[in-house]
Amino acid sequence: MKRNEFRVRPRAAPSSLIGAGFVAPALLLLVAMNLFPLIFNIYLSFTNADLSGGPVKMVGGHNYTVLFNEARYANALTVTGLFVLVSVSVELVLGFVLAMAMRDRVPGKAVILTVLLIPMMLCPVVLSLFWNLILNGNYGILNQLLALVHLPQPQWLTDDDLKLVSILFVDIWMWTPFMMLISLAGLNSIPSYIYEAAEIDRAGRWMVFRSITLPMCAPLLGLAVLLRATDALKQFDLVMAITGPNDASTQTLSARIYQVVFRDYKVGLGSAYGVVILVAVIAVATIFVRYIEMLGRRQGKAEA
Amino acid sequence: MRAVRTVLVVWFLLVATLPLAWLALTSVKTYQDTISAHAKFVPWSGPLESNPSGADSVRFAATLDAYRNLSKPVAGTPNDFYHYLGNSIVIGVLSTLAAVCLGTICAYGFSRFRIPGSKDWLFFILSTRFLPPLAVVVPVLVMYRWFALENTHLGLVLLYTSFNLSLAVWLMKGFVDEIPRAFEEAALVDGYSVLHTFFRIIVPQASTGMAVTGVFCLISSWNEFGFAMTLNNYEAQTVPVYFAGLQGNIEGVPWPRIAAGMMIFVGPIVLFTVLVRRHLLRGVTFGTIKQ
Repeated sequence: MKRNEFRVRPRAAPSSLIGAGFVAPALLLLVAMNLFPLIFNIYLSFTNADLSGGPVKMVGGHNYTVLFNEARYANALTVTGLFVLVSVSVELVLGFVLAMAMRDRVPGKAVILTVLLIPMMLCPVVLSLFWNLILNGNYGILNQLLALVHLPQPQWLTDDDLKLVSILFVDIWMWTPFMMLISLAGLNSIPSYIYEAAEIDRAGRWMVFRSITLPMCAPLLGLAVLLRATDALKQFDLVMAITGPNDASTQTLSARIYQVVFRDYKVGLGSAYGVVILVAVIAVATIFVRYIEMLGRRQGKAEA
Repeated sequence: MRAVRTVLVVWFLLVATLPLAWLALTSVKTYQDTISAHAKFVPWSGPLESNPSGADSVRFAATLDAYRNLSKPVAGTPNDFYHYLGNSIVIGVLSTLAAVCLGTICAYGFSRFRIPGSKDWLFFILSTRFLPPLAVVVPVLVMYRWFALENTHLGLVLLYTSFNLSLAVWLMKGFVDEIPRAFEEAALVDGYSVLHTFFRIIVPQASTGMAVTGVFCLISSWNEFGFAMTLNNYEAQTVPVYFAGLQGNIEGVPWPRIAAGMMIFVGPIVLFTVLVRRHLLRGVTFGTIKQ
């Protein structure tokens, strides 16, 4: 820390004051646009506010009583939980397998990597709207391909049991390369002398994978999982684009908020939902922040 | 083992690219060909007589009509595609410029000065990235009514700037940390003021980092949907919201036109991704992993 500082001449203002001048504008904007709405949201969740702007009354815990007794609440919680669990774990496994395949010298590796990473940089809503055309049960190209190989051609977008599968599929299609990218960084960070030592000790392939490759990649994989989990918790875009916000079989917490606020105009209840999702996100984000701190300390130690 | 590996990589490449190729093909079809129960793969541009584009043919008559039609509003919508593209560009560019400027200034402060509780501040900044749009959209909406920012470009610019700040500060801190301090120390000894030093020494050296950060900020503003959808019914609608609105079109979803618009909308992002490919890892992990 010490070597990072300036030795400013005595005449100048104290260094910490100048520093505060540099960081203040960004922090002020964050407090106004992120922190304040967050606190304001908690207040609104105890009121009967609606979008028409009528007089606002405090209603105590009424919104929360309504919320916790709603069938839609339990449903949204299940859908969101399922979405996070399935999308993150499938992406992790597929991404890691892909990274193992891309690990050694592959001809045109740089080009392949770039091409694989393009979908995750594109707009999720735009891509999933287009997936609607591909997945369409009657004229979609996917079912036509399935027909070619004599497989069943289900109604991906209208069958209640398959809607969530379709949304998961698009998410996995977009984000598996993200897991691959981070897994590759993890694999590349393992020094080759460890593998050489294992070879001398005649360790089997599985043994090497289990006791060297996996544990040494684990820290970065953890980072990737946390990043994806916080994103998956807020899932809204794909649901809106593929099934719309009101469909119970795919209604995540964010989609439920949309329905409550913009279709039923119940701002207070919507804010209560906001608090619920915030609690979940803050929990995961806190783990994430602690995790980054830990990684930073480790890296610092490794460099020292 | 090698064969398995090759099959795997080729399979993933196909899965990643084929949907995008299908998007490109769809954009040069006619409406009837896009919803044909016999998929048409092969664009054909010869005269129609020599082109057996019957119902069972895999050929279709390629046309650029969808691209030409982008300048006409779809039935039931007030504006053409370029109106919404203009909104996306204005909002994306302004919020990116603001986030990169504020982020660079802030990152410099954290990188070079002793700030009390700097670690906590940095983690506060990082944590704002995880705020779900739908969880704060109600208070933002109420706030925006106070200041008449609802349905305005400025409203979205402010939001996107603040939501991109976490990325901008963390990425730029990584880049600024990498600039050797010797130049600044020399400049200060020569009697430059701190501000002068920042603009004359740091900004030029951090310009690559600023460009990379800018690309990531632009992409996230460009792709955003939650706020754009809920805060704008009319004036400042961006392209993703426009396309989402076309889903329920009474005359059928105008697929060729949507696909053509999508090609124009995602094209620049594909280009940007290729440009920043070396920094992708950094960008998607907030600079916590540097290669």
